[in-house]
Amino acid sequence: MALLEVSGLVRRFRGLAAVDRLSFRVAEGQTVAIIGPNGAGKSTTFNLVSGLLGVDGGTIRFRGADVTRSPAHSRTRAGIGRTFQVVQPFVDLNVMDNVIVGALFGASASLGAARADANRLIELVGLGDKRFSGVSALTLADRKRLELARALATKPVLLMLDEVMEGLTPTEERDAVRLLSDVRAEGVTLLLIEHVMSTVRDLSDHVLVMDYGKKLAEGSYEEVAHDPKVIEAYLGTDTEA
Amino acid sequence: MEALPQTLLFGILRSGLYALTALGLAISLGVIGVVNFAHGEFVMLGAFIGFWLYLTLSGVSGLGPAVSPLVIVIGLPLSAIVLYAIAAGVYRFTLRPVLRQPELNQMLLTFGLSILAVNATSIVLSPQAKDANLAWRFDLLELDFVNVTFARIAAFVVSAVLVGATYLLLARTKLGKQMRAVAQNRLGAQIVGIPIDRVYEFAFGLSAALAAAAGVMLIFQTQVSPFLGLGTLLKSFSIVVLAGLGNLAGVIWASLLLGLAEQLVSQYVPGGAALRDGLFFVIIFLVLIVKPSGLRR
Amino acid sequence: MRRNLIAWAVFIAAVAVLPWLGVSNDRYLMLLANVMLMFMTLALSWDVVARTGQLSLAHGAFFGLGAYGVAIAHRTWALHPLVGIVIAACAVATVALALGVVTLRLRGIYFAIATLAFAEVLRTVALQFPDFTGGTVGIAMPPLFDGDRVLSYYLIGAIFVLALATSLAVRWTRLHYAVTAIRANETVAQVMGIDVVRVKVVLFVASATLAGLAGAFYMPFITHTDPNDAFDIGRSVASLVFPIFGGLYTTAGPVIGTILMRSLEEYLRVTPPWKEGYQVVYGLVIVVAVLFMPRGLLGLVQDLRLKRPDRRWAWRFSR
Repeated sequence: MALLEVSGLVRRFRGLAAVDRLSFRVAEGQTVAIIGPNGAGKSTTFNLVSGLLGVDGGTIRFRGADVTRSPAHSRTRAGIGRTFQVVQPFVDLNVMDNVIVGALFGASASLGAARADANRLIELVGLGDKRFSGVSALTLADRKRLELARALATKPVLLMLDEVMEGLTPTEERDAVRLLSDVRAEGVTLLLIEHVMSTVRDLSDHVLVMDYGKKLAEGSYEEVAHDPKVIEAYLGTDTEA
Repeated sequence: MEALPQTLLFGILRSGLYALTALGLAISLGVIGVVNFAHGEFVMLGAFIGFWLYLTLSGVSGLGPAVSPLVIVIGLPLSAIVLYAIAAGVYRFTLRPVLRQPELNQMLLTFGLSILAVNATSIVLSPQAKDANLAWRFDLLELDFVNVTFARIAAFVVSAVLVGATYLLLARTKLGKQMRAVAQNRLGAQIVGIPIDRVYEFAFGLSAALAAAAGVMLIFQTQVSPFLGLGTLLKSFSIVVLAGLGNLAGVIWASLLLGLAEQLVSQYVPGGAALRDGLFFVIIFLVLIVKPSGLRR
Repeated sequence: MRRNLIAWAVFIAAVAVLPWLGVSNDRYLMLLANVMLMFMTLALSWDVVARTGQLSLAHGAFFGLGAYGVAIAHRTWALHPLVGIVIAACAVATVALALGVVTLRLRGIYFAIATLAFAEVLRTVALQFPDFTGGTVGIAMPPLFDGDRVLSYYLIGAIFVLALATSLAVRWTRLHYAVTAIRANETVAQVMGIDVVRVKVVLFVASATLAGLAGAFYMPFITHTDPNDAFDIGRSVASLVFPIFGGLYTTAGPVIGTILMRSLEEYLRVTPPWKEGYQVVYGLVIVVAVLFMPRGLLGLVQDLRLKRPDRRWAWRFSR
């Protein structure tokens, strides 16, 4: 039984299908990357799976249960966590309290346990010395660390990461990949949207390519990188035969 | 059953001014994205300008009520210009700085402006207790089976013309298209180089000018007081909610619906006259339960 | 937290002792004291729902609903005012629940508009059904505790303490995190596992009930009211101006704001030319506060403190 099973997922915006009969599965322990040109429907898929958008068709099953109509907060408590492409920390709270929110409500912890978890996670992502900083004092890389720590605080079984590498320097990228490997080692299943191919190659065991809301191709990184349909989707028609 | 044509006619005629006021609100809400709780005060100030004009003209000329057409001809552009200027100032000095703040703050601001305007007018122009009382009316125009005052017809004609002109502006002119672009996609509009600040200012000014025009026409139908804004605001809100946010075309249909519903309820529902006043809330509440996005498909 | 609670305990003790400082014989001063506590309750209640980022323009209406509830209960069933107050509070809670469940799952602007419309409708309903509500003439009932203003002071004092406790609870329990997250970003709050609609509804109902209790106290205290008094929009405005002035999202802010602004109002009410339009000050305070001091007086004080050298300390407790 797959951890996440998406079947025939459809979402329309004013007649245009942003997600068009998409089906895929994620097995426990895997790291799956979703790639595709801009506008392919990747973030919309995340919104559908996390419950921020309602589906127009199809089903979503998580750990065997049908969560298609479940509200977002229930899905988080069930174990689906996510970060956002444009990081969205809670600006009125400091770093510590941001993470505590995740632990308190996503993991339903007591205040004391939430604080302990938050401390641990803040150390894990490397924000230990900025524990009580306000959000405005953080760099982009730090905000992404915060975003990750907060998502981890909800104790996700499946963690969806939306373009985590965007805007990071190569050094920061390497740190992030290492961090994600650590997270994966703790048993979290990862589903990534990524544009940075080196990350996709280094981290994922399975890649899903989307275009125009549909699944274009699926397979290992190598298989997908050499698939002519995929190349055409990204780069246009190849001039050499 | 003879009441039915009369009732329907009244409903349609009333919907004119409703549409005119609601359109202004829909524009400021759709283009700028801010809920203007002071919109009713734009109407109120327009009414005061019209009333002042009426007093001045009828007094000076000694002609009395006959100056009314003149009041309309001069009053409409006058109040529109004055209120446009006021709104532009309000936008630049108070609204623009808070556009970056959370929605709660923006709403608080316009609400505060509303309280400020109502009470300042009350202090400066007339003490609260004394409403401006118009003792005259247009003559009754008696057609085959309906009676209607000139006031209502004039209001409807003016509203229809102004609403139509606004739609033309939105559809055909560059500024209008810019406004529609901004309403659809703020970021995209900025990326293609639309001067969003100027568009906001114009939209706000336009909404105030339309409201002021409605205010001028209102002096022929109701007493003028600093407090006439609230009722107008609530009806406009119910129309905008019914039409759906951002649906400017729907404002006409929604206004017709409200106008007709009001008349039908007060005529045919027992105890209806009392219910009529609360109709706007019923509409808002029902729409929010059933289909929050309004009439829009 | 403990220091905070002790400070409030001291404050409550001071409030309780007030009548014994020679004030109890002055009926006018006792009237002011009663009304002050009433408004502090109203202000605290508004602040509670503001913490979820929602703008309620109906708090004056809940107040009026509470007032009419007690009066009608008394007239219909001849209930003791204290029982009537409880019943009126339940009625207010029910109405708030209905309103909240429908409007709080939508964008904040719909909620604000709906509360404004609701407030106006209540006023017109009270006017239009004279058989039930007494219409423009209004409704009356015998004075609370036979006009003993000291006893009524303790009653409103108890209601005030309830409001205080609610406000403090929202700050010092896990609700604080929920509410601040919701206010900062509802979407992300959901993804963090917060049942946003439920939190908003619960706080809205609690807040409205407190306002209703204040109104239910008001009725027997003042013995007579009419729709324009009970549903005076000025009270809805006051309930938001006082916390904004004193400092939103705090417990001390609404209390301080009420004391300062209500004192000012008492002065303005009897001084021309402000007499009828004194609410212009309210409008001015709101506009100035939003533009220049969004966190009110307390925010100004806190900002001054932040200029101290140890900046890291400043963020130790999130705002």
